[in-house]
Amino acid sequence: MIRCDVCERRCPLGPDTYGYCRMYHAPRGQVEERFPDRWCAYATARMETIPFYHAWPGARCLVVGTAGCNFDCRYCANAEVVKVDPAGQQDVMLDVSPEDLVAVARKRGCRAIVFSVNEPTVSLPTLERVAAVAKTAGLVMGCLTNGYATPEGTARLGAILDCVNVSLKGLSPEFCRDYLGVPDVGPILRNIKDLARTTHVEVTTPVIEGINSHELGEMVDFLAGVGPDVPWHAFRLLPEYKMRQEDYPSVAAVGAQVEAAARGKLNYVYFHNFIGSRWVNTLCPGCGEAVIERHSLGCGGDRLQAVHLDGGACPRCGEAVALRGDIDPATAKEACS
Amino acid sequence: MSLAILDAREWQQTVDLRTGQPREASGPLVDMVAGLVGRRPYPGDRDATCNDWVADVALELVERYAPRFAFLSFSEQFYSLRHSPLTKAEEQARIDGAFAAVERFARESGFTVVVVGTGELVPAAVPVDLEGLDGLAVSSNWCAHYAGLYDASAADLEKLANHPAIAHVAAKADILSLFGGSQADGERLPEHMVAVKEGHYLKGTSLRRLYKIPQPSPVIPVSTKLGPVASLTDIRPALLKLLRTDKVALALVEGVGCRQFPLPYQTCANGRGWFAYEPGDGQFLAISKGQHSIFEHNGGYRYYQDDTDDKAYPYSGFFSEMPTGTIGEAIAERSIAVGNRSMFMHMLTGCDIACECFARNLYNQGVMAVIHRQDKYAGK
Repeated sequence: MIRCDVCERRCPLGPDTYGYCRMYHAPRGQVEERFPDRWCAYATARMETIPFYHAWPGARCLVVGTAGCNFDCRYCANAEVVKVDPAGQQDVMLDVSPEDLVAVARKRGCRAIVFSVNEPTVSLPTLERVAAVAKTAGLVMGCLTNGYATPEGTARLGAILDCVNVSLKGLSPEFCRDYLGVPDVGPILRNIKDLARTTHVEVTTPVIEGINSHELGEMVDFLAGVGPDVPWHAFRLLPEYKMRQEDYPSVAAVGAQVEAAARGKLNYVYFHNFIGSRWVNTLCPGCGEAVIERHSLGCGGDRLQAVHLDGGACPRCGEAVALRGDIDPATAKEACS
Repeated sequence: MSLAILDAREWQQTVDLRTGQPREASGPLVDMVAGLVGRRPYPGDRDATCNDWVADVALELVERYAPRFAFLSFSEQFYSLRHSPLTKAEEQARIDGAFAAVERFARESGFTVVVVGTGELVPAAVPVDLEGLDGLAVSSNWCAHYAGLYDASAADLEKLANHPAIAHVAAKADILSLFGGSQADGERLPEHMVAVKEGHYLKGTSLRRLYKIPQPSPVIPVSTKLGPVASLTDIRPALLKLLRTDKVALALVEGVGCRQFPLPYQTCANGRGWFAYEPGDGQFLAISKGQHSIFEHNGGYRYYQDDTDDKAYPYSGFFSEMPTGTIGEAIAERSIAVGNRSMFMHMLTGCDIACECFARNLYNQGVMAVIHRQDKYAGK
């Protein structure tokens, strides 16, 4: 029996011992994937849907995922994929090699491949193989993660990813235990710092009114310490899974709390995950001008609408806007006309 | 200008439907509709009260707007059978619930209701993976039966011709010929369209496990109140004729075929030749326009190509232009559309007011109400 070194659960693994996520085992004394190169789905989307607002704006991406998770979030939006036994999912999984997956992305005109359906660390070796082929093909690699990897796992993610959106869901041990199924937030805070040193990081926080909303100020202080240019996406929680019968958080109340928490501390603050949000535009940190406009269609449906940058800077005051990667050519053309 | 009221529960935003830009709007009709959708949050696609939501919203619109025509869709059983592991009894209860909601609407509104079943669901038995081709196969989340094929090699076509799960591979020219289109009509058709056999379904974009899938039915049931119709494209003229004497509602009950249809019915053709519509936008549009819509909407189009930052109608799914010739446009009197099919009722029906869920991939975001016409209403 060995200990898994991918995530901070550090589960015991053996030939028939699979750990919490049920995606790894150790038949030969090393951590191995049980279901390499098996995908639950892929779809063509835009970077804004992940969400990435400050990385390759407007770029088309292939969104992919596998099965399983190392968290037990009470509000999991993809519980039907990630909460069931991965072994029982294999009859409907796609068997696609890294080479073929990259080929699909290229055939569909994608600039990026983004792992976002479930937690990528449960399929880290597969992700590494895809990243290696994607890099050769000139594709960007990104992911959405809960940030609960070990330092070794985080280093492996940082080495292969061009952009990461880390979910900072809450701070208190009580919240982590009751709502996420993990003992504490320490590894996540550590990993946000580590990843921000090596790659582009955005952070997402699903806000549950009265449950973690009082922690927003503390979260902002932490993120400001990482860097005031870290884009922060406050999500209105979409109650799913074990919280399906709960009320939807108040947009007005949560919006006011987000704004109050972040004012003057972070340069790029967004409040969305609901249709028609007015808080999805990038405002120039210098003068407040809307320099990138977006539409919000709720859960994973945001769209780039217009870019008003002049050489990566605000056209009104000249302040640089923090962006990783170039803007999708179609968008740049639109912005110039 | 068409207005969209986006209701995310206790919070609304009104936008120009075409541009998505926020608009300050008020007036008797806007205020009435905004109040209505604010009071009636959408319960969710698989919620047992989902079809009651359709009936309740439609009945309130009947009371407040006094339409002569209503275009309704009842889809909860479609979502539930498709994505939930139900017993036979549970399935039947869901279907019964849909017809009970239709019946309640008919009873309380006094409308003559014409009911159409959009086609039966069958067990999702065998997933089909077309990723090993040289070319690109494109299927969509809600279309299990058809895929578009692009840049197919000779080896691909031979492989598909001998594939045990493939029922049909049609070249674009064959589709144009079948539906009497010219070369210019084929812009949104794939180079080839692949149809799988019954019980088989195309994998790729659906995150959730599929338990049942639409089996595109050669015929679908239409309640006999309408008079004889040979094809789904004949429903529209028959409805317009019935509207001369009656207030009429068209109720599309999704995922129901002839075997489960509890009312006296006749059958009508649900396509042409080898092609039969799956429940969804193409079928709705064919009914609404009274003409086949495969050139505009089919399961094989690469919709992601239209998903650019300057795409019009950003809240209307993959629609980038408003369909013309819809049934709502043909009715001078007031008309409404209500349904739990997201993001296309307002585009396909052309009715003055459309209230529909705003759910994406079963995630319940709220309600969208679209007001195309304000000129027929001065308040009540």
